[in-house]
Amino acid sequence: MTVLELQHVSKSFAATQALKDMSLAIEPGEIHAIVGENGAGKSTLIKIMTGVHQPDRGEIRVGGVAVTLRGTQDAQGAGIAAIYQEPMVFPDLDVAENIFISNRAESAVMNWRRLYAEADLLVAKLGVKLDVRRAASGLTLAEQQTVEIARALSLNVKVLIMDEPTASLSAHEVARLLDIARALRAQGVSVIYISHRLDEIFQIADRVTVIRDGSHISTKPIAEVTPEGLVHDMVGRAIDSFAVKTEASPHGAPVLQMQGLGRAGVFRGINATVHAGEVLCFAGLVGARRTDVALALFGIAPATEGEIKIDGAPVTIRTPAEAMAHQIAYVSEDRRKMGLAMTLPIFANISLASLGKLMGLFGLINAKAETAMAETYRKQLAIKSADTRVEVGKLSGGNQQKVMLAKWLETKPRILIFDEPTRGIDVGAKAEVHNIIRTLAGQGVAVIVISSDLPEVLALADRVLVMREGTQAGLLPIEEASQERVIGLAAGHDMKGAA
Amino acid sequence: MKLKSWEGMLAFLFLLTLVANAMLAPEFLTLQNQINLFQLSIEKIIIALVMALVIINAEIDLSVSSVLGLAACVFGYLVHIGVAAPLAILAALAVGPVAGLINAVLIARVGIPSLVVTLAMLIGFRGVARILVKDQSMGDFPQWVTDLGQKGFLGPIPLSLWLFVIFAVGLGVLLHRTGFGRQVVVIGTNAEVARFSGLDVARVKTTLFLMASSMAALGGVLYAARLGSVRGDAGVGFELDIITMVLLGGVSIFGGKGSMAGVILSILIILNLRNGMALTNITGHIQTGVIGILLIVSVLGPNLWERLRRG
Repeated sequence: MTVLELQHVSKSFAATQALKDMSLAIEPGEIHAIVGENGAGKSTLIKIMTGVHQPDRGEIRVGGVAVTLRGTQDAQGAGIAAIYQEPMVFPDLDVAENIFISNRAESAVMNWRRLYAEADLLVAKLGVKLDVRRAASGLTLAEQQTVEIARALSLNVKVLIMDEPTASLSAHEVARLLDIARALRAQGVSVIYISHRLDEIFQIADRVTVIRDGSHISTKPIAEVTPEGLVHDMVGRAIDSFAVKTEASPHGAPVLQMQGLGRAGVFRGINATVHAGEVLCFAGLVGARRTDVALALFGIAPATEGEIKIDGAPVTIRTPAEAMAHQIAYVSEDRRKMGLAMTLPIFANISLASLGKLMGLFGLINAKAETAMAETYRKQLAIKSADTRVEVGKLSGGNQQKVMLAKWLETKPRILIFDEPTRGIDVGAKAEVHNIIRTLAGQGVAVIVISSDLPEVLALADRVLVMREGTQAGLLPIEEASQERVIGLAAGHDMKGAA
Repeated sequence: MKLKSWEGMLAFLFLLTLVANAMLAPEFLTLQNQINLFQLSIEKIIIALVMALVIINAEIDLSVSSVLGLAACVFGYLVHIGVAAPLAILAALAVGPVAGLINAVLIARVGIPSLVVTLAMLIGFRGVARILVKDQSMGDFPQWVTDLGQKGFLGPIPLSLWLFVIFAVGLGVLLHRTGFGRQVVVIGTNAEVARFSGLDVARVKTTLFLMASSMAALGGVLYAARLGSVRGDAGVGFELDIITMVLLGGVSIFGGKGSMAGVILSILIILNLRNGMALTNITGHIQTGVIGILLIVSVLGPNLWERLRRG
């Protein structure tokens, strides 16, 4: 008898199919790990189980009975709750109040003594020491998680989903959280444990399910799997749409060197050199802090440790303007938030980072030169639009990406950082962007590409820098980089020689 | 109705007001009446031109009327205690950059929302002005000062009209033709995009708040010259009329959108509408109500239209 079961669940968002015919069965009192690459469908899966999204097809069964979950309250009513990496507590209430925040009062008058006594009991059940009269504002992240778990327990949940619960915890706190998960299991609660960290999964899980591209790949007892097998299941897709690069392209002198680069509390110990004409790809799972390295290089969130050298000379970069003075460009991952002024025309976006060279007497913009500049890129990059006065927001994702690229190409960068350059654009535009990146490298630009798309990494990179939780897990020449090797490093398990 | 045709709609509304006024009151269309209109509201008008840039930048400056009042009171007080009028004018004008810098540092460097900072300064600067002049009315300005505010300057055209033309053209060019103006619009559209493009967001905002306060201080001197005396309540409530002028001109309160032409048309409409109502003996309170309704309709209109069109 399963406590929670998904049967042939599918879910689509617009053109993307997030889950395909997903089936999953959770036994009472088991710790069931779910692993998968970025974009494998884990988040959607959680949202389906907690009633945030409803499946397009298929059904959810709780205790063998088909149910419809229309929101987290429904899910809690059915005995399913989730805790996340960032816990939600009310800082001005105390621990006990936070634990019982979702419980309806039985009478108009609060019985405070009983509230604290029951809170004490719940916390004790989890095997933790925590003063339930403390204000939540003073709690550590780990303690806040404990409060959330106790809250779920107070609602008599049968299934508790933990989504990357250890991502921001110290080693000591991780051990405590794993103990809590075991304590829950001992009381018959099933735990769905979602994590990138393979070592934790092998410590704690009874069974492990691998999902990939929205589909269920395998579910096995932990004793029957090896780290190698898991990684293989996670990435085991056929690479068809992209050629895999087999050897590094010829390159020139070192342009950018990172030596022990770090930012306190964010990332540390990045050591890599990018040569003229070379493409260095940053690979890693969500939360690996790859973008933060780019933000440090571009002066948005400057580095606090280590050294950046350009052409061998140490430099300090504290603002984007300083980075641009060193001819560094950063093509950001979020076009809407950081990349483009959507309500302004194409030409104004293309000239945005180069306004200085268009300005003459009294700071007047040379409108003719500006239009000419924009027209050049419209033709060169094949931006599909009648002219450059069209609002950028009206273009397709791929064309927006090209406008953003044009903005940075006009700054004549020597170091060009792409952050997820093909996320959310169609296959054709993707190939075009890849060609542009290769052409730029061919012209001697030092290129950094941050990508969560492994086939893309293997198609573009001369070298692959794998990050894991803010540190450098490995730096592989393209000849040694395979999907298994990269994902293995990213998840904390080097599979050198295994693949 | 899209923003592009907004100016067209305003122009139509302006003509409508002119025709209606001319029919209701024959003396309306005289040149002198039109000049008087500008003269009587010149402080609000020139501040509105700068306020347009501030709001397009997705900020707001509520403190302008208090800066105006403070500058006027500084001038009145200094003349009152015997300081030479030219020096008193310079001191009053200096109130602008000082006040602007306080606003700018708190907003652009410390990062407090401009609504909060300038609301506090609306109260704060007004307080200083009242402390300075107490409950008195300070006047007895030299004749040349009151002439500046009341008589022709370079021919029959008064100083206020000259200033309006100069600032309207100058700020229009600044907003629509220069790199600075482009930065103002981009930051107003999306400050993060501006920052990620290497723009110095704090510097642009600082410049704008300095400009707004400086214009307000100039307005304070003009106000004192026009009325011939000042009191602690000089310019109270002006900020709302000023913001109304800007918003009716099609400037988005969320920033990023707006044109100087629209703001100028909106100023013309408000002046003539109020004047027409006054000439036909409609009281000031009702005039204010009509302007308020016009503002609501002008903001709601395009939204409703869009919604109807999209179904």
